[in-house]
Amino acid sequence: MALAASAVAQTPLQWSEDEVRAIARHGPWPPTAPRDPSNRVAGSANAIVLGEHLFNEPRLSADGAMSCATCHVAGRDWGDGRAKAVGRAELDRRTPSLWNVGLAHWFGWDGAGDSLWSQSIRPILDPREMAGDAGRVAGLLREDKALACGYERAFGHKPGGDDEKLLVDAAKALAAFQATLISPRTPFDAFRDAVVAGDREAMARYPLAAQRGLKIFIDAKCSACHFGPRLTNGEFGDVGIPFFTRPGEVDSGRLDGLGKLANSTFNLLGKYNDDASGASALRTRHVQRLHSNFGEFRVPSLRQSGSGPFMHNGHLATLEDVVKHYSEVNPERLHSDAIPLVRPLALSADQSADLVAFLRTLSADVPSRPAPPLLCP
Amino acid sequence: MRLLAALIALLITFPAWADCPLDLGRGTGIVIFSSHYLIAFRPEPLRIEVGEPFSLLFNVCTKNDKPAELVAIDAQMPEHKHGMNYRPTIVSLGDGRYRVDGMVFHMPGTWELAIDVRAGEESERLSHELVVK
Repeated sequence: MALAASAVAQTPLQWSEDEVRAIARHGPWPPTAPRDPSNRVAGSANAIVLGEHLFNEPRLSADGAMSCATCHVAGRDWGDGRAKAVGRAELDRRTPSLWNVGLAHWFGWDGAGDSLWSQSIRPILDPREMAGDAGRVAGLLREDKALACGYERAFGHKPGGDDEKLLVDAAKALAAFQATLISPRTPFDAFRDAVVAGDREAMARYPLAAQRGLKIFIDAKCSACHFGPRLTNGEFGDVGIPFFTRPGEVDSGRLDGLGKLANSTFNLLGKYNDDASGASALRTRHVQRLHSNFGEFRVPSLRQSGSGPFMHNGHLATLEDVVKHYSEVNPERLHSDAIPLVRPLALSADQSADLVAFLRTLSADVPSRPAPPLLCP
Repeated sequence: MRLLAALIALLITFPAWADCPLDLGRGTGIVIFSSHYLIAFRPEPLRIEVGEPFSLLFNVCTKNDKPAELVAIDAQMPEHKHGMNYRPTIVSLGDGRYRVDGMVFHMPGTWELAIDVRAGEESERLSHELVVK
């Protein structure tokens, strides 16, 4: 009996051609990482090492107490596990994970950044976070012997006298490092590859609950937004999460982000873009600010999404809560006059558990991170 | 073959269109028409990927051989009634040819192109559905 039950349990579900195509689109993983043409040191080994040192450098902050790694903790999937980020004050949004951030084209929950390096400048300067300034960063690069040596190796010359340019260069090194944070292969990736190869034996190793959950994910068209290998289309949506931050105040999300993008000295239309062709600024040049951007936030990747909280403001504590939200979301809240992209899925308890089981297979254990190599051994 | 037959029928009906160059290079493209306009276009790159910027190359002709202009282009998903997050720009290449940059279809599914053309005082919107997967 036990043998029969085991044999039944290991039979993979049947998948239609459309479902196989849908599954195939979520891979292969890891992808070929593109090199950011707007950052002349992207992919440079020396810049990556400098970037990792700067990432862990609290002297970039005004009081010398906070580094990027304070909130983006390697052992917490490059987040902090809090509902809302805490710098010098509590912020209105959750610390986003940095996994696969080098594959994105908009940065921050509101997409106010159009490059990883420009996004890396924001928390350094934000008075609620590191409260630093260009002079502090530039002084550190010029005066700290190890950092000055690391800078020279990464950029091919000694740190110059232009503080703002050195701030940008520090951010470009930070971006070079962060672009290396590619999440590991997961049980889903093994299943996806087996489905593509038609290897039913390998497919059978993927838990049945996860397979059922994947069918729900496909049927519910979750991949309209959670598209492709990263399981995000990198764009923005309003999925019915409250956007009031406190009585009388709202977080308008993408609408505000696009305003900040347009006004930023560091956007890709500005002088610090290293891409002479201008091609990397194409999205920035053409993006439009719409009324419908109000209350929209970036669609997060579902890979290595951590143990929560979830959503842009940590509104939902667990994956079970996330599934419950999509099962019960109020369509009135979404103001759609067509077929809404988000509609209540009305899942049973078993279906909800299956969907959670699938979502958990998009993560894998990550080995602890070794200390970065010395800057100038 | 059906497209070829339709085009031959069109050229017999409206001989002026015989002068409309439909070859946009690389041997492929889409042809749409109304009673006044004949439009050939193709994406560049040829395969439109979800979330990736692409361009469209156009050739716009009229039945009576008057100069025609590509005035505007937009796209929306009819199922969800939302448009693109990006505003494309149109560059005239002369002789009724245009290049449209900054198109991005950010979701898989059916997108409906709305192509506004004008010849003198006469304007019209032609549409065409594209499916991206």
